[in-house]
Amino acid sequence: MNKLHFKVGLFAAASLLLAGAFVVYLLHARGFFEETFHLQLAASSADGVAPGVPVVFSGIEIGRVTTLGLNEEGGIIIHATFFKRNAKWLKENSTFTLDKPIVGGAKIRVDSPDLDAPALPDDATVLLLTSDISKELPALVERVKAVLDNVEHLTRKDGEITATLANLQTVTGRMTGEYGMLEGILGSPEKARAVTDSLDGIRALVGRLDSLALKVDGMAVKTDQWLFAPAGVAEQTHEALAQIRLMLNDAQSSLEKADAMMTNAVAISADVKEGTQDIATLRAEVDDAVSKANALVNKINKMWPFASEPEVKLP
Amino acid sequence: MNFLAASIESLGAKVVGWFTVGYAMFAFLAKASLLLLDRTTWNRATFDVVVKQVYFTAVQILPVFLGYALVISWLIITIILSTARDFGLTAFASEMTIRVLVLELLPFLTALFVALRSGSAINTEVALMQVNNELDALAHCKVPPMQFEFLPRLIGGVVSVVILAGLAGLLALLLGYLSIYGVSTAGFEPYTQTIAKIFDFKIMAGLIVKCALFGLAVTLIPVTAGLETPKKLFMVPVSVLRGMMRVFFAIVTIEVVSLALKYI
Repeated sequence: MNKLHFKVGLFAAASLLLAGAFVVYLLHARGFFEETFHLQLAASSADGVAPGVPVVFSGIEIGRVTTLGLNEEGGIIIHATFFKRNAKWLKENSTFTLDKPIVGGAKIRVDSPDLDAPALPDDATVLLLTSDISKELPALVERVKAVLDNVEHLTRKDGEITATLANLQTVTGRMTGEYGMLEGILGSPEKARAVTDSLDGIRALVGRLDSLALKVDGMAVKTDQWLFAPAGVAEQTHEALAQIRLMLNDAQSSLEKADAMMTNAVAISADVKEGTQDIATLRAEVDDAVSKANALVNKINKMWPFASEPEVKLP
Repeated sequence: MNFLAASIESLGAKVVGWFTVGYAMFAFLAKASLLLLDRTTWNRATFDVVVKQVYFTAVQILPVFLGYALVISWLIITIILSTARDFGLTAFASEMTIRVLVLELLPFLTALFVALRSGSAINTEVALMQVNNELDALAHCKVPPMQFEFLPRLIGGVVSVVILAGLAGLLALLLGYLSIYGVSTAGFEPYTQTIAKIFDFKIMAGLIVKCALFGLAVTLIPVTAGLETPKKLFMVPVSVLRGMMRVFFAIVTIEVVSLALKYI
């Protein structure tokens, strides 16, 4: 036995075997032993599509573009080939999208939302959608630029937002003071105190006016009794009666004014800022009402002796 | 004026020299090809020399060569993989690995390996035979040197480079799979798809032709360089030097042309 020949023979046989195995593997890889499944994709543009572009399903390549060309109507027809074993992922409700990422080659993405749907027949024609990020990018950049410009304008050094924030800071700073929100809205603790004082005064005044009204009520009843008593003052005092009626009218209007004052007080607590300006007039009106009530009581007193001293005290 | 004339003359001499060398090479190749077609060439004696040539060029160096291919492949694959990972392009790593290693780098390195080991030996041997008049002696004894000395060397060179490059390429494919997917069959399907995408008929044919041309270059050029040695012993090293330089240029030219054809 020739040792040299044996070694060379072994080498040649092993190499041939490996080469043969590789060729078979390559033929298998290229689908030589498999049946193929064809599909035609109709697209509006073949931009980026070329023979060899992969068709992927869930990121796994299941086929590739073989040829592409124009049909009689000027539309684009892309032929894609799949292995028969991969054809089961192609359903009638599958969508075909051409993806063109910024980095890397284009690919056709298949999405089959319902895998129980009927399968696509061989040589079927489906629509190819396009999602081209690179085309949308310039428009997107323009819009983002405009938004950024606006934001920049809003946040400039002497801008509205800065001023608003500064104002908000002073207001919230005041709110931490003794009179809280009220001080925050009115601007200083003195003003806030004035408002709370006024409110306290109005509360007391309203209480007194209440009792005064009761008294006036009582007076009216007594006057009634007195007028229509069997002793009969009515005949003597027809003029006085008319006067009393007038006085009673006056008292009623005073009470209405007090009522308006109460409404005003409610309005004051609702809109305190304006309320602070109305405080003076409110006081004047209250004074006026009280003095009128005083005068009324005095007048009644003159005509009718009451036990108690008719006096209304102002807060 | 004299200087200009002298430089033009030297340039002309160089060009004539290149043409002479090129012509001698192609004439030799044509003669060898014609002989290949001749039925009388295919006898037992020639075949024995071819086998011997393959043994010395490929089988003898196989362990060293495969070890060297393994280290180079492993290094290149690791570099490509880590770079691809850094740039987030792992999807392209396997294709890149196969293209760089199997199609370009390994055939080129194989050709260099064989040229340095066998090409230089062939060049020296032929130059010594020429200087010692052995070739004339062989021809006298009805042993035509073309048939029994040169043609088997060419065939052996081509066969060896094609097979060695193929083995190194298969090793690189296996190593690439193991580096990317590890010892599991999970990546078989995608890897197969990548291989299918790269190795179409044109690429395979181009790869084999390129390897055959490499094999031819690393044997044909040393043989012709040895044959043109003047019959003086001290000219042998000069002949080897020239032959090796030509081999190197030829290998680079083949590689560049193949790349240009593939990607331009």
